[in-house]
Amino acid sequence: MSIKQSTARRTARAVGFHAVSILVSALFVLPLIWMFAASLRQPGLPPPRSIEWLPAPLVWSNYVRVFQILPLGHYVFNSLLVAGATVPITLITASLAGFAMAQLSRRGQDRLIILSVILLIIPTTAVWLARFILFRSLGLFNTHAALIAPSIMGSSPLFVLLFFWSFRRIPLELYEAARMDGASPLNIWWRVALPLSGATIVVVSILTFLLYWGDFITPLFYLKSQTLYTLPVGLRQLQELDRTNWPLLLAGSVVMTLPAVLLFAVVQRFFLQENRLTGIYGQ
Amino acid sequence: MRNQLINFGLLMIVLFTSACGLGNTSDPVTFMVFGEPAELKAYQDLVDAFQKQNTDIAIELIHIPSQGDYRKRLAADLVGGEPADVVLINYRRFSGLALKNAFEPLGPYLEKSSELKYNDFYALSMRAFSINEQVVCIPQNSSSLVTYYNKDLFDAADLPYPIAGWAWDDFISTAKALTLDTDQDGRIDQYGAGVEPILIRVAPFIWQNGGKVSSERALTLADPLELEAVQWFVDWQVKHHIVPDAVEEKAESSESRFINGRTAIYFNSRRFVPTFREITTFDWDVAPLPVGRSEFTILHSDAYCLTSASQNKESAWTFIEFANSATGQKIVAQSGRTVPSLIQVAESESFLDPNAKPEHSSVFIDVIPFTLRLPQQANWADIEEICDEELQRAFYGNATVMEAMQSAVSRALPLFTENE
Amino acid sequence: MLMPYLLGAVVLVGLPALLSLILAFTRYDGMSAPVWVGWFNFRIVLANPVDLLFPISLYNTLYFIILAVPMRVLSALALAMWLNRRGRGVGLYRTAVYLPTIIPDVAYALIWMWIFNPLYGPLNLILTALGLPTPGWLADAEFAKLVFVVMAAFQIGEGFVVLLAGLQNIPPEYYAAAAVDGGSTWQQFRYITLPLLAPWLLLLTLRDIILSSQNIFTANFIMTNGDPYYSTLFLPLLIYEEAFDRMHFGPGSAMTVLLGIVTAALIGFILSIVGNWGETHVD
Repeated sequence: MSIKQSTARRTARAVGFHAVSILVSALFVLPLIWMFAASLRQPGLPPPRSIEWLPAPLVWSNYVRVFQILPLGHYVFNSLLVAGATVPITLITASLAGFAMAQLSRRGQDRLIILSVILLIIPTTAVWLARFILFRSLGLFNTHAALIAPSIMGSSPLFVLLFFWSFRRIPLELYEAARMDGASPLNIWWRVALPLSGATIVVVSILTFLLYWGDFITPLFYLKSQTLYTLPVGLRQLQELDRTNWPLLLAGSVVMTLPAVLLFAVVQRFFLQENRLTGIYGQ
Repeated sequence: MRNQLINFGLLMIVLFTSACGLGNTSDPVTFMVFGEPAELKAYQDLVDAFQKQNTDIAIELIHIPSQGDYRKRLAADLVGGEPADVVLINYRRFSGLALKNAFEPLGPYLEKSSELKYNDFYALSMRAFSINEQVVCIPQNSSSLVTYYNKDLFDAADLPYPIAGWAWDDFISTAKALTLDTDQDGRIDQYGAGVEPILIRVAPFIWQNGGKVSSERALTLADPLELEAVQWFVDWQVKHHIVPDAVEEKAESSESRFINGRTAIYFNSRRFVPTFREITTFDWDVAPLPVGRSEFTILHSDAYCLTSASQNKESAWTFIEFANSATGQKIVAQSGRTVPSLIQVAESESFLDPNAKPEHSSVFIDVIPFTLRLPQQANWADIEEICDEELQRAFYGNATVMEAMQSAVSRALPLFTENE
Repeated sequence: MLMPYLLGAVVLVGLPALLSLILAFTRYDGMSAPVWVGWFNFRIVLANPVDLLFPISLYNTLYFIILAVPMRVLSALALAMWLNRRGRGVGLYRTAVYLPTIIPDVAYALIWMWIFNPLYGPLNLILTALGLPTPGWLADAEFAKLVFVVMAAFQIGEGFVVLLAGLQNIPPEYYAAAAVDGGSTWQQFRYITLPLLAPWLLLLTLRDIILSSQNIFTANFIMTNGDPYYSTLFLPLLIYEEAFDRMHFGPGSAMTVLLGIVTAALIGFILSIVGNWGETHVD
């Protein structure tokens, strides 16, 4: 094959690649675009005659109204509070557990990995009912503590595993050196392991935040006072107030989705960009 | 290392207990209600008025917008052992919980009261909240199912407004004349009527036809007179197309269509008046239901109940007493939300003022002698759920009325025998 | 160090799971004391001659799993393979694919309610413009379940990332060697990619089966609550209603146990197929 032919083929393939990729990407981004477009629609209008990429008139006041009908600002604050509280707790417990795992013998590690996988597999429905009764006896009804509680076990076995993998990659010499200096395991965790796991810390922080930010089931079960409501149950309340007021509901959805998208923009470079997947998976 | 662990443990304990403290509401009297935001305002006014008179008792108002979620919330709270002190509850949900002793019977409190007397209230509502002749909760309203209609749409079509005694056939022909495709695009833009296809909306018509909803042993919905009434109701959608079909209802609810002026007639109870009062684009009023062989309608009544688990019974009773006094009931009546259960208030200007929409609030009082109520049974809510699902199936053309009603009867049978 | 994690796992997961198992054999309404009833709950849930809600919801759940899981795994694989290369914009495409996954559950449900809205939603408007029939989607018992399948098919971010990492762990020398030996793209896929990815694909499938049967709750609750006529009544919703609406913790727990058994059976089934597969392809 001549150089010209192979260059032409390469260009054609590149164009083809980008064309298809753009189409696929557009497909995945479409729901978000439609959500935003519909949130600007005038409530109460009859159905549109044809596809509306951008409604006319653009009703930005939907966003004002959505904060007036319900104390949505307060709900946002509560969501930030709960999700924010869980991040440090999760980081501590998950990284401690992951660190401890990394110090164990091979067999110990395997056993704990299997345990973590089993925990990941147990259906949440299995624990709903019983956890409900358990929390009742602990007096956790109608408290934010009930929402924050899972962070005490690191929020998810996945986070423990992420830290485990990250700590395991740290060269043994560094651990040895610290140990010979007389550092306690806790010290080693704080001074050696954590600083070298920046990527994992960022990823776990953000994933934890997103996990609790979007949690609907726990507040649904446990929260009674409107002053404690978080955004997911707040949106549900909005839906119950006006079941088919799509512009308002979608405006509320935008409010809920925006922080998630922003945080994701920060963290995605650690596991989606080019070939720098060594960020947290590494070899 | 050990010290650090201990510190960590203490930190956890502190976080936990402080978070627990965040939601602690044992001191004020908690008052839980459901309803739209406009209704909420009425209760807020009530609470404010009470607190002005009784500065030593604090009330915390808890608001759950939907009745469906409200029921689950109440159930969860009762399981949790910490329900609100005073709860607003509908009589159809009431019996199941009352039979489980969730509520403190208010009969004795009523007898000792100097402000309230049994005979001051409409007997029908009082009986709806009594078990074995003993009053358990005090009703706050005696509402019923009525016809809301958009006067402007009637005027535009040059049709007379609905009046007391208008027949089933009048309703159908009127609604047909008001179902229009205004821009000739094949899609209906204005519907003659709107209704939720659920048991409490079809029950009045079953009674009007001489049937009844259930006996002691089973639902009687598959018997001839009952089937006839249900078929007539289902035909609104299936045969005459005067109400939206499943797809259209899912896209936009009839309630929303009425509020936005795209439906001429809407069947509901007094509950929606505060929300409808916010309508500025057209004029509306109420009329009694269309009349069959007789003119029955169905009771919609809610009461304030005192939960057995309450730690604040005396204060809570003081609030309930105030809420159901003439003063209290007038405040809530002003919002439009209730047909007061106190006869004196219902027949006064606070309720009947023709300058407050609807102009003919008197309709609600006029139909009281013809109002029937649904049975009191422990699992009535579950039975109703079955009826609603089957009725919906028939209403949107996915099953014949006979099929659906027979299915409802057989599915509900175990729930009747459970009680024996 | 492991204590918070392990303690949390026991208290928040292990204990409730055990309690659920016990509750399945009792009659308990949360208010009065539990009463032992043996197999009674299982009998009424499975063999109730009149109210077939459990069999219906089991069927719905299996329908969903059987359609959604293969779709998700296969599209995650296809996209991971497609976007496993360097190039400008690849990071952007990957981010787009991941985007729907981070949308919080409640907002996600509302968005799709809008998209599938039979009169207002963009999907039916597009179908009308193309002259195609417009189903009633969530208002139509025939199509309602498909809405959930489509929603699930868009949230393939996690699988995508896992498979991407898996693909990147395959040494490029293998492919080079195969190319030298004259292997076609298909053969490369079949004999290099697939076997090396197999453990990941397996893990992903198993995890998806488990998650699909539970994570559908929020969308189910917000979008249809089981309508029309139970065609979208999935098991988690039924369990929730039985326990928290009708206050029948006994049958609710029994259903949870049965769900666990069905899931385990599915997993066992898959593992047995894969096990056989592995044996006959030992070369």
